Amino acid sequence: MKKIWFFPMVVVLSIVALIASACPAPAPVAPVEVVKIGALQDMTGATSDVGADEAKGVAEAFAYFNDQGGINGKPLKMFQYDYGYRVPEAVTTYTRFRDYDKVIAVLGWGTGDTEALKPTINKDKIVYLSSSFSAHLTAPAEAPYNFVFSTDYSTKARATIQYWYDNYWLKDPRYKEEREAGVKPRFVFFGMFGSPYATAPVEAIKDQAKILGFDFLPDQDVSLWALDTKSQVLAVSENPPHFVWHGNTTMSVATTLRDFYALGLTGPGKKTMHGINCWGHDENTLKLAGPAAEETISANKVAFFMWDYPMRDIVHQYAQKINPGVPLEDRLIHTVGGWIKVHLMVEALTRMDNAGELDLRPEALATTRAKLKDYFEMAPMDDIAKLYGLAEFTVTPTDHRPGGKIAIAQIEGGKLVDRGFVDMKGMYPDLWASWLGW
Amino acid sequence: MDRLPCGTKFATYRADHAWWQTRFTWIKMLFLAFVLFFIIPQFVGGYWITVFNMIGYTILAAMGVQLLIGYVGQITLGHAAPIGFGAFATALSMYLFEVPYLVALLIGAIAGGLLSLLFGLPCIKVKGFYIIMTTLAMQFITVDIILTQFIGPLAGRGRGGVISVEPEMFSIGPWVIYSPLDSYYWMLILVIGMMVFMANLLRTRVGRAWIAIRDNDIAAEALGVNIVRYKLLAFFIAGAMGGIAGGYWLTNLSIVSPEHFLFGWSLWLVGVLLIGGVGSMYGTIYGAMFMTLVLEGIKLALIPLAFTFPAIAGKFLYFKDFFFGLTIILFLIYEPNGLAYRWWRIKRYIWLWPFSY
Repeated sequence: MKKIWFFPMVVVLSIVALIASACPAPAPVAPVEVVKIGALQDMTGATSDVGADEAKGVAEAFAYFNDQGGINGKPLKMFQYDYGYRVPEAVTTYTRFRDYDKVIAVLGWGTGDTEALKPTINKDKIVYLSSSFSAHLTAPAEAPYNFVFSTDYSTKARATIQYWYDNYWLKDPRYKEEREAGVKPRFVFFGMFGSPYATAPVEAIKDQAKILGFDFLPDQDVSLWALDTKSQVLAVSENPPHFVWHGNTTMSVATTLRDFYALGLTGPGKKTMHGINCWGHDENTLKLAGPAAEETISANKVAFFMWDYPMRDIVHQYAQKINPGVPLEDRLIHTVGGWIKVHLMVEALTRMDNAGELDLRPEALATTRAKLKDYFEMAPMDDIAKLYGLAEFTVTPTDHRPGGKIAIAQIEGGKLVDRGFVDMKGMYPDLWASWLGW
Repeated sequence: MDRLPCGTKFATYRADHAWWQTRFTWIKMLFLAFVLFFIIPQFVGGYWITVFNMIGYTILAAMGVQLLIGYVGQITLGHAAPIGFGAFATALSMYLFEVPYLVALLIGAIAGGLLSLLFGLPCIKVKGFYIIMTTLAMQFITVDIILTQFIGPLAGRGRGGVISVEPEMFSIGPWVIYSPLDSYYWMLILVIGMMVFMANLLRTRVGRAWIAIRDNDIAAEALGVNIVRYKLLAFFIAGAMGGIAGGYWLTNLSIVSPEHFLFGWSLWLVGVLLIGGVGSMYGTIYGAMFMTLVLEGIKLALIPLAFTFPAIAGKFLYFKDFFFGLTIILFLIYEPNGLAYRWWRIKRYIWLWPFSY
């Protein structure tokens, strides 16, 4: 039986391989005027619950900018590939983009690919605009070619706790008694100790909590895939915390919120309130946690999909046009994240072309790639940031943090509501520079 | 006719025991070396060099697993742990203590070996399925706890456990391993070195003891083989090989993160062995090549196809992973002994033609 089937199978696989190898275009001899950008996405891997949505947003944004004429008439070509959060594949995909597709810049995704490629892109001098907002990516001293489209995780965490302190601890009547008795607010961290992503802003937020005069409860370890967190919540229920910081993503955060709610610690008017990182607080958190998510705060990375931001109509229109099969109610904030990523890149490229420096000839590729960095840094792109609900995007050669004003969102009445901005740089001008990179 | 290695025709034991038995085989292997060291760097671009580097890393990483599963019969699902531990040990010695590269690599190898030895201690009492559990424990305890929470943060705050080392520090004498091409040559040296080491080790008393333990450990013990000693030695050496693989990974990327050594990577290495052939050294190579090149082939087909058929990158994206999984399943059904066995059959057919045995 084995013998009869083996050779036909070999033949079939060879034919498939031949077709596959015959399909790709021969060595790219593309017309000089095409602007090529590489996009690494995770649509099937560990972070695909959020990555698939952003991938759609990136594709839609590219379609829109091409319909607008590209970069002063030069069409954009997007090489988008799903690397499934497998780091070796991310590395080979990047080198393929660099050497085979000859892209000008790369739009990266999460910590997996961004961290692995950080030394390589800085060696190759290729701009890497990522959706991973690790604090050390914003320090040009070690990562001059890395950019992020929204504030780094540490600053976001600081802003969240600052917002809670200013608007709830100092003002809200539920804490009046404790405030007047001189009680210090209590802070606790809920997140996966074994996840570099969840623990990244912990040092910064604890530093901020110390500045504000918090007391600390022992950190609680919650797995990213936790289905039940009652034991962790019970561990802190004796002396309940006033502010809980959640480092994980939506799934486990929703579980934890529900457990707090079930124990009666959280809810409208109750004393335990929650700050959540930007990847754990989205439309899905609302759906999963329901009433337990009331009053939770986060520093959102862009405007939520259904909010009122200037580009809303265009984003929705293209979402329907390019991906008609996905209903608008199912689209998430990450679509908007994809849009702002592409828009910032397009803006830098347009500036470069207006200055006459966008040289797309193969001989000039290396210089074009290296110079693109300067066009991010030379002038603010605040107007672009404002189109998507952020306050600013101003990076300098010494500081790649997009700005000091951090957007805050809160769930109220079953909806995500815009709470404006917290100006961390304005409030702590002397400490702001020392916070760079961690 | 001294061309092909078939038939008995040697006059000395030395000739009979040679690894490559005929002049033909020697010429073939020298030609392969020529292609690897001279032809490939001349004619392939940076992308393919990176692919070869990834293949080389997979080979180095899978060698330890091959030793444990294929030659000693201890099934391990946690080999990413000594690889990661070794990588971090190398990275930290270079980052914190500015140790020269080769010494750091040695430290990484020893660290990986000791970790593997520590978690291999249960093999004294248990075997088979239970060793799977203990190696799983090694994977999760090392990567999720030790690396992420204790060792990673040693390099600084807010970095998420990531350590990066200046690429200029990877120097062996006057040669600095900076570009992917340098990394490629270093990979070739490490892979060849490791294979020579393994091949020779397997032919010594130690190797024979391992194979005896794999085939029937009770009989081996009855014959006087100290199975505890040899099993622990196997864990140590496999871990040391993993440590060297980790050191190579660091050299290749100049950065390590606990996220590079997750459970999925341990499983991937076992997959490499299953495809390539368990119990065969060349099987590690074939398996690594297959697993990496199939993914690259899919990518090669998919990116251009996605321009004409956007649905492939959207609704039908799962086809990519489906195809990959299907290939592995087909392999396991129709070629359970792996690529190494199939290649050996092809070679024998050619050697013995027109005879069948």
